Parts: sequence; C-alpha cells; structure tokens
Amino acid sequence: MSLTLTVDGERWRRHLRSVADADPGLVPVVKGNGYGFGITRLAQTATWLGVDTIAVGTYHELSAVEQAFAGDLMVLGPWRPTGPVAPESLAPGRVIHTVSRLADLLALLDRQPDARIVLERLTSMRRHGMSAEELRAAGRLLDQRPARLEGVAFHLPLAHGAHLTEVEHLVNDVVAAELPTRTLWISHLTPPELARLRASYADYDVRPRVGTALWLGDPGALRVTATVLDVHEVERGDVFGYRGRTVPKAGHILVVSGGTSHGIGLEAPIGDHSFKARAAAVARGGLDAAGFVRSPFTVDGKPRLFAEPPHMQVSMLFLPHGPRVPAVGEEVAVRVRHTATTFDRVDIS
Amino acid sequence: MTPTVRPISADEHRAFIAGRSSASFLQTPAWAAVKSEWRAESLGWYDEGRLVGAGLVLYRQLPRVKRFLAYLPEGPVLDWAVDLGAWLAPMTTHLRSQGAFGVRMGPPVVTRRWSAAQVKEGIADEGVARLGEIAPLERSAAGARVIQQLEALGWRPQVSEGGFAAGQPQYTFVIPLVDDAGARRTDDDVLAGMNQLWRRNIRKADKAGVVVTQGRAEDLKAFHDLYAHTAERDHFTPRPLSYFETMYDALGAEDPDRITLWLAHHESDLVAATIAVRVGTHAWYSYGASSTAKREVRGSNAVQWAMIRDAMAQGAEVYDLRGITDTLDPDDPHVGLIQFKVGTGGEAVESVGEWDLPLNRVLYRGFELYLARRGG
Repeated sequence: MSLTLTVDGERWRRHLRSVADADPGLVPVVKGNGYGFGITRLAQTATWLGVDTIAVGTYHELSAVEQAFAGDLMVLGPWRPTGPVAPESLAPGRVIHTVSRLADLLALLDRQPDARIVLERLTSMRRHGMSAEELRAAGRLLDQRPARLEGVAFHLPLAHGAHLTEVEHLVNDVVAAELPTRTLWISHLTPPELARLRASYADYDVRPRVGTALWLGDPGALRVTATVLDVHEVERGDVFGYRGRTVPKAGHILVVSGGTSHGIGLEAPIGDHSFKARAAAVARGGLDAAGFVRSPFTVDGKPRLFAEPPHMQVSMLFLPHGPRVPAVGEEVAVRVRHTATTFDRVDIS
Repeated sequence: MTPTVRPISADEHRAFIAGRSSASFLQTPAWAAVKSEWRAESLGWYDEGRLVGAGLVLYRQLPRVKRFLAYLPEGPVLDWAVDLGAWLAPMTTHLRSQGAFGVRMGPPVVTRRWSAAQVKEGIADEGVARLGEIAPLERSAAGARVIQQLEALGWRPQVSEGGFAAGQPQYTFVIPLVDDAGARRTDDDVLAGMNQLWRRNIRKADKAGVVVTQGRAEDLKAFHDLYAHTAERDHFTPRPLSYFETMYDALGAEDPDRITLWLAHHESDLVAATIAVRVGTHAWYSYGASSTAKREVRGSNAVQWAMIRDAMAQGAEVYDLRGITDTLDPDDPHVGLIQFKVGTGGEAVESVGEWDLPLNRVLYRGFELYLARRGG
C-alpha cells in the first residue's frame, strides 16, 4: 500500500562499482532526499564503494551520515558565520568546509584555525564563490595563516560537453592565486572533459563530485510503483473528489498510493527550455495539476489522467472505458523525478 | 604607478636593454634593420621621468590599406608582474595613433617548465601525445597572472603557425647555465647533463680532429652555401645570403659580441656552421647548417658544444636552442628535432605565447580572413 522504489540491487551496484572504478578520485554526493534512496543509505553504500570522501549539501545533513560513513565529510553549501555548524558529535577533522567569501575565510579561521577548507571559485552559474581577485587575496591571506586548505571547488552549470574552456580559465585563476593546494573539486564534467582536464593539469588532483550520474545513472535498475488502493465504476455526471467535480464520461476512478507528501504533482520543473517541454512538464503533473491532466501514473504502459489534483498521500485517476481496469492491490508504474520524491519504501534486492 | 609611453631613439633603446640582465634579440633596435621590409619604432615606458620599459614595434601593413598590425616579437621588455591594464593602455593608444588596426605581442613570461628526462619519458610513453600532458616541473603563478590579465583586457591568444606574421615559438628548449641557486655550472656539469649519445659524439668529433672556430663577415658565404645545402636536404626554404649579411652587420654594429658565426672544419671541409646570438645573459643558437658527407665526424655536436662553452665563458645564464613543437608523438616528424635538443639536457619551457588585441574590429576581422585564406 505504498509508493515504492524497487532497485535491482545487483545491477545497481554493478553500475556504482563501474563508475567508482573508472574514477578513483570520485566523491559521491549524498544530499537532499538522497536521490530517493535516503542519504543514510547512500552514505552506507559509499562505505561499501570504498571512497574516502562524500559530500553532503548542508550542515543539517551531517548527522544523518556521520555514523554510516567513516571518512571525510564535505559540505557543499558554503560556510557562513551566521549559519548552522557541524554537530558536536562529529570529530572536527572529518568535516571539509566550503568557503565562498573572503570574509567567511577570515571568520572561519578565527573560530577554528585548523579547519579543513575548500575555496569555491565562482563559475558561470553565479551561485556561490570567489572571483579571481578574491582567490588571489585568499592566497595571500593563507600565506600568513597556515590553514588546512584541501583544494578549490568549481560548481559548473549543466551544459554537457561545453565546460572545458571555462574550466581552463578557472584553473588558470587557481594557478595565478598561488594557493598551497593541488586539488580541484569539480562537478558536472563529462568523462571526456574530465580526461582532458587531467591531461592538461597532470600536476593537479581532480576530484569529481557526482550525484545523479552515480546514483541514478542506470535508470534500468530502478522501478517506481504505486499500489491500486480502490477502484470505483462511475457514470457520466457522477460527483466525486474533494472538490465535488463531475465525471465527464463513463469509466473508472482509480485511487492509487502517492500524493503531494511524496512529491507527486510537485515535481521540480525539468531543465528543458522549449515550450513543448515546459508544456509537457505541466501535463505530467506540475504545480498546476488541476483538471484532467496527464499524471505520472501509467497503466499498461500508458500515462493516465489525474481526476483531480493529488491528495496528500493518494491520487485519484480517471480511467475511461476501454482499457483494462487494474484490480485493487495491483501495482502500477509511476514516472517520478527521484530528487523530488519521497518513497514509502525502498526495496533493494 | 601609471606609466606613459612615447617613442624613444635607438640609442636610448639600446642603453635600456644594456642596463638589463637580458632581453630577446627580437626586441633590440638592431632587429628593426633585419626586418627592413617593415616600419619599426622603439617605444619607451616612462614613470616619473625614468625609462622603465621598452619595446620594438614592427608595423606590418595590411594589403591595399594603409593600416598596420603592430607587432612586438617576444616583447615588450617590461616587468610583467605589474597591473598590465595601466601599462598596456598607453601603448595601445600610441599604436592606434600610428594607424594600427591591431597589436600582437609575445610577453616573454614563462608558464611551465619540464626537465629533459620528463620530455624523454613523454616521448616513450604511448599515452602521452603532447608536452602539456606531462606534469610540469614548475607551473608559474606569474605566467598565470599574465594570462588572466590579458584575457580580462580583451587580448586573444594566438595559435601561431606560419602565415603573414609567422609567430614566435611558444615552446623552446633551453640549457640553464647557472644552477637553481644562481651559481655558474661547470663544463663538466653541463656535459654530465647531456645524454650519452651527445657526450660520445662530442668526444668522437674531438678525436676525429674537428676544429671549431669563430668566423667573420667574409665567412658568411661559406655558411650560406652549407645552409642552402641543408635546406635542400631537409626540405625547408632557405633565406637569402643578404638576410644573414644584414643580420650580421646590424646586430654586430649594436654590440660586437651580439652575433657570432661558428664554423666546424674537418681537415679542409666545412662540416657544420651556425650563428649564435647573445643579449646580456641570454645566448641563442639561432641558425645551423651541416654537411651530408662526413656526418660521422659529428661536426654539429662539436659546434654546439663550442657555442655552449663560449656562452658560459661570456657569462650567459641560459643557452637557448629556440623553438620546439609540443608534440611528443614518436611518429611526428618534428619529434626528431626535439630529441636532438633534449639530448643536451636542460629544460623545455612554455611561455604565455603570442596575443592579439584588435583595435579596429572590422579590419582585424578582415586580417584574420586574409590569414585564413593564405593558410588554406
């Protein structure tokens, strides 16, 4: 009676192993909803993979992984003097802080002179990070204040295959800043880009941070299903639902598990910019999941319509006469965005 | 500090270079005489009345238009660890007033260095095709800062290959003649840095009775005959004798020690001949020629060794074998030249390369198209 993520464990682990083996510097990203798996489980899996470092998104997430993974814990969100800190249960030496402003670097070193630090360089994404000039100033500062600098981080936008020029500029800035480090932490480079970067900077240690391409990189190993909880035959004009709608034609109302609390109907918009793609996102059950729009639930391989906006834990679908009507207790497939879905159960074989 | 830029006389220019440890010979006023087909100008950077930088500008005319590419080969001579915006702006203002549609320069700033052993390993390693794929001995922050600033100021890096303004090489091979602490190396030390083949060949030439001497202006004809022979054998286009005569006279007039002709004879036969250039503490092997007959007496190795020793005796700190390509692919025809140079020991050096600043977008674009057509 639940929204379930079923994982072909052998296939999934084979994929994880192949990614990790291909890249000994890999840093698995374990954040947010844990890509649907949960961050504690991913931290355990990272232990199984044998990596030395994992990355979480925020300081709040540290407590969920500190027991499950014994290595270094990098926090991707920048450290701020006013923000949350690592839990006291955690040995200070295990945390690697990301610092994105010169003022923060000073404040952190004042508070914890032996803090482990990664400096973030601002990329074309313009989210967090230092300019080339700030990075140089940081280099001068670190001449005076011997800190544990663990590298420089770049968080690149998702433009596959087009990053190398930008990365070369950014690495040149790192060289120019004379920082006492030879490690680069980079996200979102394609394998060929990564190989070329490593070739041009053989004197640097490149550590790719990988989330989606690792955990969700083999979609065939993952299956999401919802349980059919109830089936009601309806005639045209019948009233149903929270909002007292009427049925437009004869068919069946299907009640399935999976509602807004799971993230159904609340998917993050996908990054495709075309109008068609945006329209499709809405149709799949975006925030405007009102009226008879396409739902992410499929019956016999065909997407079905929402009868009304999803409820908190269940959704009501409309099935016109014609197709096979699934029985109560049967599982139907659901297409979800894993980073925005909370599953009731994760079954890994 | 905000310097100003104005033209200076050849004498002021010469005196400025003489007061520095070294500068590229392509930045001496004498070089203007060698490149007589282009208008040349000496520029000085002044700060509070003091000359603090100098550049030799060659104005290369665009076909059919009275506009020029202002070219400063391996220059200008500046302290490059400065705020380049403030230093380059007065130069470009001046060059624009002289009719330049664009500026090309080659900051003599090192970005990376590799040892001879690393280059050798790179050639042997199938997984390595280019010099840049080997972790360098040193990656220069000063070089990175020059690149950073030039990019920010709108300069564009050039991948130089032949054409209208055949670029100066971005990769060169040099033998340091002083150690890291700045102490002079001995002959034995430099010899010990060479590979076994080089040492054996130097000994072989000595035993065979090869005699290396310095020539004079009247020996240029003999050099040129051998050079033309080499050009035919190695399939490159030789420069005319007059080019070397002009170069010899112009550089020699500037400083009697600036240019030296070297001749290696075996019995009465000229087996190798070279031209060496020195500015202050920097010595270059500039042109070379060798006979096809009597290769076994190793005249080329003998003449190189004589030049290296002379450079050391003259107080040079660097012996510069000039350009190499960055290929380490053993199947590339250029790799033989690299291997010859690498055998001397020393280091491969990468500089920031040549950079262009378009001053007139339309004419600069036209110039690029013109180059592309010539190239194709």
